[in-house]
Parts: sequence; C-alpha cells; structure tokens
Amino acid sequence: MSTAMRSALAAGLVLACSAGLFAQEEQRDWKIFGEKVYTATGDVIENGTVAVAGGKIRGVTGGTRGGDGKNSLRAAAVTPGMVDLSVRVGAGTDSVEQSREVAPDMRTAESVDVFDVDWDVQARSGVTTALVCAPDFDVIGGLGVVVKTAGPSGVRARTVKADAVLRGAIGSQPSFRNHPAFGRPDDFFSRRPTTRMGVEWELRKAFYDAAAARGSDERAFPGSDELRSVLEGTRPLMLQTWTTQDIRTAIFFKEEMESEGLGHPRLILDAAAEAWKEPDLLARSGAAVVLPPYPLDGRTSDNSFMTLDSAKLVHDLGLPLALSAHGSGDPAARLDRQAGFAMRGGLSFEAALQAVTIAPARMVGVDDRVGSIEAGKDADLVLWSGTPFETSSRVIGVVIDGRLVLDPRPTE
Amino acid sequence: MTTQLTNRAVARTLQVTLLATALLAPAALADGKLAIKAGTVITEAGAEPIENGVIVIENGRITAVGADAKVPWDAKVIDAPEMTAFPGFVEAYSPRGMDRPNENIDVAPFLDVRDSIDPVNFYFEDSLRWGVTTINVQQGPDCVIGGQGRVVKPYGMTVEAMTVENNAGIVLSASPKRGNSNATQAQALRKAFTELRQALEELVQEQRDGDDRARREALYQGRDLEGEKAKGRAMTGAGWTVEGLDLVPRGEVDEKLEPLLALVEGDVPAFFYCGEPMNVHQALEIARENGFLARTTLVLDASCWKAADVIAEAGVPVVLSSELVDRERDPITGEEIETFVPGVFAEKGVPFALSSTNASTQSLWYQAAMAVGLGLTREQAIQAVTSTPASFLGLGKRVGSLEVGKEGNVVLFSGDPLSVTSFVERVVIDGEDAYDRSTDVRVKQLLEGTQPPGTAAAAELDEKGHVHDDGEVDTKDEKVDKGEEQSDDDKGSGDDDEGGEDQ
Repeated sequence: MSTAMRSALAAGLVLACSAGLFAQEEQRDWKIFGEKVYTATGDVIENGTVAVAGGKIRGVTGGTRGGDGKNSLRAAAVTPGMVDLSVRVGAGTDSVEQSREVAPDMRTAESVDVFDVDWDVQARSGVTTALVCAPDFDVIGGLGVVVKTAGPSGVRARTVKADAVLRGAIGSQPSFRNHPAFGRPDDFFSRRPTTRMGVEWELRKAFYDAAAARGSDERAFPGSDELRSVLEGTRPLMLQTWTTQDIRTAIFFKEEMESEGLGHPRLILDAAAEAWKEPDLLARSGAAVVLPPYPLDGRTSDNSFMTLDSAKLVHDLGLPLALSAHGSGDPAARLDRQAGFAMRGGLSFEAALQAVTIAPARMVGVDDRVGSIEAGKDADLVLWSGTPFETSSRVIGVVIDGRLVLDPRPTE
Repeated sequence: MTTQLTNRAVARTLQVTLLATALLAPAALADGKLAIKAGTVITEAGAEPIENGVIVIENGRITAVGADAKVPWDAKVIDAPEMTAFPGFVEAYSPRGMDRPNENIDVAPFLDVRDSIDPVNFYFEDSLRWGVTTINVQQGPDCVIGGQGRVVKPYGMTVEAMTVENNAGIVLSASPKRGNSNATQAQALRKAFTELRQALEELVQEQRDGDDRARREALYQGRDLEGEKAKGRAMTGAGWTVEGLDLVPRGEVDEKLEPLLALVEGDVPAFFYCGEPMNVHQALEIARENGFLARTTLVLDASCWKAADVIAEAGVPVVLSSELVDRERDPITGEEIETFVPGVFAEKGVPFALSSTNASTQSLWYQAAMAVGLGLTREQAIQAVTSTPASFLGLGKRVGSLEVGKEGNVVLFSGDPLSVTSFVERVVIDGEDAYDRSTDVRVKQLLEGTQPPGTAAAAELDEKGHVHDDGEVDTKDEKVDKGEEQSDDDKGSGDDDEGGEDQ
C-alpha cells in the first residue's frame, strides 16, 4: 500500500512522500542523521547518526555531519518509534466474542486485521508499535497482541508479542447493549450483566472460578489458564477504566485478590481519564496508567473529566505512564500531539518522550525489542521537522524494522 | 403628566446605570493610561522581537511601542519581564457566542446577530482565555442568505460595549441548507436577487405611475422618511442596476430588502460559505452577477482547496476551516492522500485567514502553530491569525498588530506564543485589563481539576478495602499538593495516617 502526503508548501515546493513501501522494501540499511537524537533511555546525542542494518539498530554516533548518500536520511530530531497501547485499530466489533462476557481465551492475535487501512495512518504518524485488543463489549474480552503498524502483510510477521495482556473492561461499556427481558422474548442480551455491579461481579467471579480450578481438571473452563496467568503475575491485566469509580473498582479488585491470597495481578489501567482524582489510592495500587487522548475542555467518555496535568501527576507519583491517541488519524490529535498536551500540563519533555516510547513498551514486555534507540533493538525510528511534540513540529519520516514508511526527503 | 413621570423614571434608571457602570469599570479606565513592560514584544508577523519592550496605551489606543518607549508617570503598569507580548488574535468568521446561530428563514438579511449575541456566553470567555480579542460573529452557514454580522471583542457587559464594528457583513451559503439539494439551493440564491430586482422595478414603476402605495406603507410602518431617506439615489453596483431608482425615496424600499440592496450596491461585505469545491463556482458566479464579488470573502471547508485555481483567478480572499489537512482515501487502493490546505492557498497567492470553530486548546494559536509544522513559514502563519483576518474585516488599521495608533489589544504569553507549553497569562483589550490567568478558576480546573471532597479517605482503607472504623474521615477540601513528596507516601498498606502533614 503506498502512501502519499501531498503538501504544497509556501515556497511552491510540493512535498510528496510516498515512494511506495514496496519499492523500497528491500532497503533496510540506513544512516539516519538527527541534529538531536533522543534515545529515550540514555542521553540526548547532538548531531547523531543512527546506523541501521538488516532492520536493526547497530548504534548511534554523536558529533557527525550526516551524509547525503542514497542510504542517508536527515532530520532536525530523531526519536524511537512511538508505542500506543490503546490504538483501537485492526480489531473491530467482529473481534468481540459474543457467546460469553468472559472470554479470556480469545486471542486477538488470531483476529487482528493487518490490512486495515487505518494502520497506514498510524505508521505515518510515528506510531510504530501498537497493542491491539478487541473492543470492550465483553467484561473480559481476551488476549491482546502487540504488532508493528507496518511491514510484511502476514499477521505473524507483524507480531511483536502475542497474548501480551489480558484485556477487560469496567464501567458502562460492557453492559450498555444488554437489557432486561421485560416482556420481550428472552434473548442473549437479557442474560448478560445490565449494570456496572453486574459487570464487576462477572470480573471477580471469573477470577475466583479460575483460582478454584487450579489443579482441578473438573473445574477447569475455557480461559481459566489465562485468568490464572494474571493471578500469578505472569501476564498483566489491562482494564478499561474511564472514571474514578472504575479505577477504584479495579484497584479494590486487585487488593481483594491479594488479601484473599489468590495472587498478585499486575494492573494496567487503560483510558484512566480520572487517574488524577485520587492520587493516594493510585499510588498505593502501583498500577501502570495509560491515559486516553486529551479532551478539549476536560470532559470525555463515560462522563469523566480529564485534567491537563493528569500525565504529570501520574508520573510524579512514580507510576508507569503511557499516553494514547486511541487511533485518531486527525493531525490535531495524533499521539505526538498527546505528548505535547501532556507537556502543556507540566510533564517534562523526557517524561513525555518515555510515555510514548519505552514506558508503554515495558508495560507489555516488549522493551527488549522496541521503545528506545539502542544497539540491537528493532530499527523503529521517527524523524521530526523540529523539536518533537511541539505543535509547530511534525513527523516527517518513519522507519519501521528498517523499512522506510514515510520518506523525509523532499521530492519534486 | 405621563411624560413627566416617564422622564423622571428614565432619569432614575440612568442614574442607577451610571452608578453601576462606575462600579464595574476597571481601574485602568479611570486614568486611561496603561503601560505594559514585557520581556519580549512581538509587534507583528515577521517583525524582529523587541527585548524588554514597552507598550503604552492611552485611551484605548497604542501611543508608543519600543524598548525605549517612555512610561507616562500616571500610567498603570503591568510589569511582565518573563512574558511575551503579542497582538490579540483575530477570528475572521465565527457562528458562535449566540443562542442557535442558524435562522430557519431561507433569506433573512434583515436579521442582525446583535439580537442573538449573548455577552455572557462561555464562548466569549473562552476566546479571551486563548487570546482572541477580535471576533467576527456571523450567522451560521445553514442558510441561503443569512443575517447581518458584527465584529466584537470578547469583553463587555452588553453587545453595544462589545461591538467593534456593526453591519460587518452578510452570510450567504452556496452549500445546501438542510433540506435543500444543491440545485434548490442555487435556485433559492438566484431567486432572492431576482425578487429584489423585481421589487425595485415595481417600486420605480409605481413611482412613475404616481402610485404612493410604498409611501403609505412606509408611513404606516413608522419608517424613517426624513433626510437621506426622503431622497432618491441612483442605484450603484458592479452587477446589475435598476434604472430610475433615483426617483424612489430610499425610505420607501422595504426594510426586508434594504440589506440585500446594500449588498448588491457593494456597501457591505459578504461572507460566502462553500462546503464543497463545487460550491465555489456557484458562489463566485452569484457574487459576480450581483456585483459584490469585490466585497466577497469565501468561508471554506477543507475540501475546497481543489477550487484554489478558480479562487485565485477571482481574486477573493478565503477563511479556512480548522481542518488544516484534507484527508481523502482512494476507495480502491486504500491510498490515503493528505493535502495541507493553507499551503495550497499560500502557493496560489490567495490571501487566507485561519479560523477555529472551537475556542479551546485548539484555538487560533494552535492553528497557527500546526500550520507552521505542516509547512507555512512562521510569518505566514501569524499573519493568517492576526493582520490578514483584520484586513478582511476592514479593520487593518485598527487591530492585528502592535503599532502606534492601533487599538490596545495585547496578549501576554508565558513563552513563545506558538509553543505548546505557553499559556495566555494576561489579555488587555482597548487598554483595559480584561483577563488574568492567575484568577481564572475555569482554566485552573481544566489544568488541575478539583479533587472531590472525601477522596483521600479511599487511600486509608485497609488491605481488604474496608474503611477504618474510627469514625474519622479526612476530607481534604484543598487539592493535595501533587508534588514529588506524593510518591513517598506509603504505597503498601495505606494504613498509616498521612493525611495531616501535607496540608
């Protein structure tokens, strides 16, 4: 799939970056120069050149001038490819298991659509790695998969890590289509939870059942192993929690599992818009937090209110923090803009950079491959026209696994 | 007797009003002199920033700008060495700040947004908050021919106090009004002008026939038939004219038609909305035929960049939507094409203003900054939100830059006006201290929120999630300081009583 950015500049210059993925697919060796190279885990390297070979980063050298050869790219700044854990692309409602509300054994790795045209927008906006989960219409929807946003068209080739998290949701979404029978014929949706307490009950019951099924073939059920992996702490539990009420439910659930001796779930609170409301509670939970896109006037989904300093607050509490654009293709709301808004709310540049690169990579255990510019890691890089995340900068180049997805070189 | 009573009542009301005005008037108004000392002063697009500059405003007008401008001894001084002074942003077209901006009557040029503008609408408060100091409030584009607009500043207790310029133009839409097709919309537009022409011709005919129906009607309706209104005047206009209109006293022209006649005579500006590129041809044709092309500004949807050549040829300026990038997808290949809209118009040499339908984080500063990222020069982008829209509104000599003689509209930013980390700290309008972020409760809430009372109690639950039974619930009304010390709080048990110390 080829992409084109037709951007007529004031100077009359038409900047078309396209060139087509296929045409350059073979070239995976680059010398990428940035006036500043932000590695996300180490120091900022002035006039650095990132050497890329065979789709991997070979190293970064500072104090270089940058070449203009065929395999040379240059930009004002280079950062690692961005990671979005709540991308909401590639798995639609047809990825939602409809036969039960607790479906921990459903694998998004089997259903992710790498042909979804929205991947292209994600890749070109600088998001190079994404966690895909089914939309939150089940209480426990299944296992999420971490994929690259561009590359070969096979699912396996794109997969960074299958079954990376167990995904669930608290709040209104899992129950909103369900209804009591009320004279209508009893149907599927009248047998499912219709309130948030019903949803919470389903969540807790699933884990109690899974714990009881430990070592018992008789009591085992589809998904009990996956649920137990969460209790054993080997797989994070990612819960959609918009409001402070949802966040409390998630944290109290975790503490209940711990105090009942069932295990130690590792929580990732996704879309935690109201994470700012109860800092003490949040700090106590030690949960990782993925913030939803910043709303314009504070109000966002599920009647929640998200403040501009949310990211700063979560970071200052010492909790792992990630930002997300929820797959928006709007140039005014993409992931780089979210990092900018977080900085507007007081987050430092370094922390903002980490919140869209290495921090989310660590949350889902893919930091050995992506999230920073280090020798041996995947060559996922973003090239910027100016200071990253500034409103007056934009992503001008993207490299994923050494493949040029967005070409920063101006063409006639 | 009745008259006397009325007079006394009026006098009393007047006294009360005067008193109220005196009480409400800000301090700066008292002496009418204000000096702003800013660390950096950016006077206009492309100008070299002045370090440690001074702006002196007297009686609402800028009287001096520069590093060595003298501060009058009796001026109120805003001392802001860490801030950057910038001209107030100008919104070229906005259907906001009103209760329901779209009138259902197809052709309603006789309406005036004066009667709809709500001075306490949050839109104006928000505009101030983001540094927009001049707004062209117009009817929404869901119409055939809309009412008359008004340029206002987002400051003042009444519409009159807010007004910068009345009769600021009439909105027309080439895009179908709800319920219309493209064809019926075009017909309706043409019909409005045909009917105007017929009505004028009838008036002339009546006059020639010695019929005084129009006169009687005017008198019956209590219209003004004195002075200029008693005289006839030959019709002017670059499109069509009706011969013999000089015979008809202008006061006899139906007041419902009068604004449209003013449009055809080129006396008022037109804001012509186009929702699709195909509308552009229609709009230009109608404007040309009816003689108001020279006074037309097109208000465009992002997709209209495709008609940029036609627009450049017609030589009309454009107001662009806040969608800076037009995105299209090829339904067969799935290829997505992005076009940077202002870039196209800049390249074609069409004067353009950026606009923002929302007065929020994505207000005009954001539009300008984004446009820089996408390919405009900084100068072009700043022009497109200050001096260019000012000139579209015929206010080029009054607003849009910090120059001697212009109105004292100054925005003080905490840093570079186009940086994502900068905030509008102060806004001065006409030399009046109109906004101060340190006292803005709403922006504080947007930034930091307000913690609900009682939330601290949740952290003091024990491991099983039970509330302590000592009956003491720590309700922190004040928001807990979200500093580093927070992370030192015991994350494990939460049992300890830590509520007291960080008050």
